[in-house]
Amino acid sequence: MAKGQRYFIIYLLLILLALFMMGPFLWLLSVSLMPGRNVFASPPAILPTFIGFDNYVQVWEFMEFPRYIWNTVVITLLGVVFNILLSSLTAYPLATFRFKGRNLVFTLLISTMIIPSATAMIVHYLTIQSLHLGNTFLGVVLPAAVSVFNIFLMRQTFLGVPADIRDSGKMDGASELRIFLQLVMPLVKPGIAVIGLLEVMAFWNNFLWPIVVLEDPQKYPLAAALTYLNGQFSYNFGWIAAGTMISVLPIIIVFLFTQKYYMEGIAGAIKG
Amino acid sequence: MNKAMRSESFTAWAFMAPGLLFLALFTFWPMIYGIPLSLTDYSVIAETKYVGLDNFTRAFQDHNFLISLWNSLVYVLIVPVIQILSILMAILVNSRIPGVKMFRAAYYIPVVTSMVAVALIWSWLLGNNGVVNYLLMQAGILSEQVSWLSTSSTALYVLMFITMWKGLGYYMMLYLAGLQGIPADLYEAARVDGAGPLRLIVNVTIPLLRPHILFCTLISVMGAIRVFDEVYILTKGGPGTSTLTSSVYIFQKGLEQFNFGYASALGLIVSVLVGALSVLVFRLNRKGGVNSY
Repeated sequence: MAKGQRYFIIYLLLILLALFMMGPFLWLLSVSLMPGRNVFASPPAILPTFIGFDNYVQVWEFMEFPRYIWNTVVITLLGVVFNILLSSLTAYPLATFRFKGRNLVFTLLISTMIIPSATAMIVHYLTIQSLHLGNTFLGVVLPAAVSVFNIFLMRQTFLGVPADIRDSGKMDGASELRIFLQLVMPLVKPGIAVIGLLEVMAFWNNFLWPIVVLEDPQKYPLAAALTYLNGQFSYNFGWIAAGTMISVLPIIIVFLFTQKYYMEGIAGAIKG
Repeated sequence: MNKAMRSESFTAWAFMAPGLLFLALFTFWPMIYGIPLSLTDYSVIAETKYVGLDNFTRAFQDHNFLISLWNSLVYVLIVPVIQILSILMAILVNSRIPGVKMFRAAYYIPVVTSMVAVALIWSWLLGNNGVVNYLLMQAGILSEQVSWLSTSSTALYVLMFITMWKGLGYYMMLYLAGLQGIPADLYEAARVDGAGPLRLIVNVTIPLLRPHILFCTLISVMGAIRVFDEVYILTKGGPGTSTLTSSVYIFQKGLEQFNFGYASALGLIVSVLVGALSVLVFRLNRKGGVNSY
């Protein structure tokens, strides 16, 4: 087959597939840009015939978006910081120290990956209630503050740090904590970035657990608020479309700018 | 044990303490506590009693629970479809042509967006007067509108389609990582031996992707059995019980009706089922084929 012909077929397939995967989002974008448009009108509006930003302006005011964005940002930041700190601290000795009980810790960590827990959410709920963290952001974040997956991912990264870094630090009389914070952590930035990205997406998109923990809808993050508001404004397609676009755009932008790290992290999942 | 190593042990445990504490509370504790909880009638309203295996006998007579288990098993049918489609997609985006990275990113966007948004878009597209019905009727595939999500015979399959659509990019990337690890000279050698494109895929790519196929199958089986978000947002198990999956039923029993004891028993049954399915996947994957990897 000629090279040109081959290129043509591959590009055709790529574009058709892109329409299938991206089409629904582009359609939502077009609905959000057409104030007053009914998505169930016949024939349905597929391409925008006019463009206006009224939906965005109105939904921003009526649904108090800044509040929900603030909630989402706080929850996401807390979640990311907890995950980076706790998984680094836990993974570092597993990668570099020789200590009693190391194998036991490994066995315990691996066992959590094999034994599935379908009741976790129920027990989490009871735990959060007994810690008096119901209706707080901490209650939303803590059950997912560290994960075995992230610990293994960080351990893999720490294994790549040369051992003499720690030795030379010791030579200079630095404490283990100082060696960790000032010498080792700067060298594992790629690993930190991967965990940061994965957790940004997980916390940003999480809707169910926040609804369970938070009694006050004013504290909902965006994804949870959207389900709640859909019920209230279900007739106003343009608003809901605009609100949904506002909630997904930040994460899509973050992804597009960091996809290199992100993809590496996903690929690392198999090795980890 | 000498002094240096003892001090190193102490430091190691001090480093790990906060992380392990959280794991103990939110990972190990739920695994353990679910068992005693399932032997009680714990709920918020009444006093808690030990009820032995009552919850389990009740579960196996609970018609809705059995339906939900069956629906979850039906959901697993998407696993082979996802694997085949995402491997084909991975092969496609592994082509070395300009702009291919852009397409990879585009296919990944459904993965990073929230299920809330994805469910909303599809519920509109699939509505009675929605775009999907319009396009299918224009193409002559349908003669009249179908209420995809509110018809018992289609709702579950439509949800499975949405799950698959959102997940394809994820599995594609995992398989792509696998494809990029296959040495090019293997293809070269096969081509010299006269293998065509289809034989290259069947005889070189698939056998070498084996570890990836195992991993992806495992996580998608677990994902399918535990499917929750899309069902909960779009149908809440309905119409009737046609899309009631086990996770949704456990959630209703536990966190909506506060039947913690009973819900824990149901959860344990599902956990055992998922464990058994994972073992099955391992077995099937070991049998037959080329064990060259």
